[in-house]
Formats: sequence, structure tokens, C-alpha cells
Amino acid sequence: MAAQIGTVLGIGLVFLGFGALLLRRSLIWKLLGLNVASGGAIVFLVALSHRPGAVPPLSGYPEGTPSADPLPQALVLTAIVIHFATLALSLAYAISLTERFHTQETGRIEAASEEEMER
Amino acid sequence: MKRALTIALLATLLGILLFGLTDLFPPAEVRPWAEMARAYGAGNGVASIVLGSRLYDTLLEVLVFALAMVGVRYTLKPLGKWREPVVPERGVVREMADVLLPVIIVFAVYLAASGHLGPGGGFPAGAIAGSGLLLLAMAKGIERLSRELHEGTLEPLEYGTIAVLLVLGCLSIPLNHRGSGLLVVFNLLIGIEVTIGAWVVLHYFASHRGEI
Repeated sequence: MAAQIGTVLGIGLVFLGFGALLLRRSLIWKLLGLNVASGGAIVFLVALSHRPGAVPPLSGYPEGTPSADPLPQALVLTAIVIHFATLALSLAYAISLTERFHTQETGRIEAASEEEMER
Repeated sequence: MKRALTIALLATLLGILLFGLTDLFPPAEVRPWAEMARAYGAGNGVASIVLGSRLYDTLLEVLVFALAMVGVRYTLKPLGKWREPVVPERGVVREMADVLLPVIIVFAVYLAASGHLGPGGGFPAGAIAGSGLLLLAMAKGIERLSRELHEGTLEPLEYGTIAVLLVLGCLSIPLNHRGSGLLVVFNLLIGIEVTIGAWVVLHYFASHRGEI
């Protein structure tokens, strides 16, 4: 049951995040949507590692007790850090673009950069 | 066109959602990890994967992290410096920082040093120490803190940590050296690296914002 709730929550968050990523016009909103979507992917992976009645994958529990799958958890551990780093980098690029074009709307940024290319 | 693509993508995701609710795909069987964890000298299944059987992954991931931080540094450096103090000083935060900061740092070091035995490890430890730095920056003012933490010392420390980590990792795999001492060293180095990365993000985002 908990695994199913986690699966639904994770895919729902990915759904929400992609919606914001596609429908919003502002760069910051798009990055926030991407952030939410990747959070949903993390929740989904954690839900995958759940087993009914399982203990955490640590030694010290009696032999033979079912334990949660450590592999998705290891993937998530690295995914969170990479997520933080790439989000910081893309926000830095967003700051730099805003500094140059004085807007955060993707349509206007594209128009302005095309104008610059023609000149 | 764009709207149709959006709707198609969202409908596909909804289909995956409905698919995931059915029991068509039973969860995979958990491979026995206790044996492998013991072989790598770890008591934690996740640590034995991250720092043992998938060490290459972790090393390259730390490299990606460091490259992203270099990117943040060189993207934001040309932008103008923010003159006004970013975070106003508050007495409550300053008093609380005195109480909380030692606990935060000790906890971060503990997590990094015992990450191979229990929950923890280098990445959470670095995140906790980075939040400790954020608290310190809010208490002391970010300008004062960035004058004390010299960029000139932090940069070589960051790159040196990466170099030591890569050399140790690349030597330990072909030499087949295993043991909990190696895992502690890896965790501490990763913790230092993530702390410095968090500080780079904090410092550059707070002080170099450009002018709109």
C-alpha cells in the first residue's frame, strides 16, 4: 500500500512538474517545474525500493528479515546531489540571461537573441 | 501544435500512472546485499553500493558536481557585485547560531565518519555542513563571512579534494583494496567537497546578482 501511494505521488509530481515546464513562460517557473518533476522521480524511486514489512538495508537486524532494496536508494542518493548542482548551474544561467535581455520570458529572450544574431 | 504536444505528453504520463497502479510488474526480488556489504567493510547496504560496487558512478558524479560548481563560479563572476547587505542581521539568529553551530558541525562530521555503518555518508554530511554555513552567513552577514573564507584557499582545497578522491578511487579499483578505512576517507572527502560546493552556491548567488 505504501509503495503504491509513493508511486502515485511520484508520478503525480512528475506530471505537475512537466505541466509547469511546458505551460509556463517564465524561465524561473520552468526551472521550478523541472525541480518538482525530478523530486517526483526521486519519490518514485524510493517507493520502488519499498517491500512490505521490510527493515532498512543496515546490518544488525536478525538474519532472514526482508529488507528494502538498497539499489534504488543508492541511485537516489547520487541523483539528489546532481539535481542540486544542475539546478544551481541552470539558475546561474537564468540570472545571466536576465542580466543580458532584461526579461525572463522565453519567447522574448528568443526574439531578442534572434534580433542580435541578425545584427 | 505546442498545446497538442503538451496534452500528448501529459496523457502518456497519466497512462504510465494508471499502468503503475496495476500489479502487472511485481517488484524485483531484493538481491542479498549483506555478503557484499561485509566484503567492502560496510554495515550499510547503500554505502556498500555507492562506495563499493558502484564506486565509478560516485566518482564521476562528484566530478559532475565539481564541474557544475565551476560553471556557477564562472557564470556569475562577471556580473556586478551586490552592494547592499543581502540578509539583514537579526539578534535572535546570531544568538541561536552560537548554540546550534557546534552541534551542526559535530553532527556533520559524525555522519561522514560513520556513514559506512549506519544511515549517513558524505553527501548528507556535506549538505548539513552547508546549511550550517548558511546559518552562519545569516548570523554574521555574508560579506563578513566571505572575507574570512578566502576564495583563494577554498578553490585549491576543492580541486585538491577532487584530485585526491579520483586518484584514491582509481587506485583502489584495480588494486582491489577494500576496507572500512577507505570508506571513511571517501565519505570525509565527499563531505568536504559538498560543503565547499554548497558554500560556492550560497556565496555567489548572494553576492553576484547583476543589475536588472
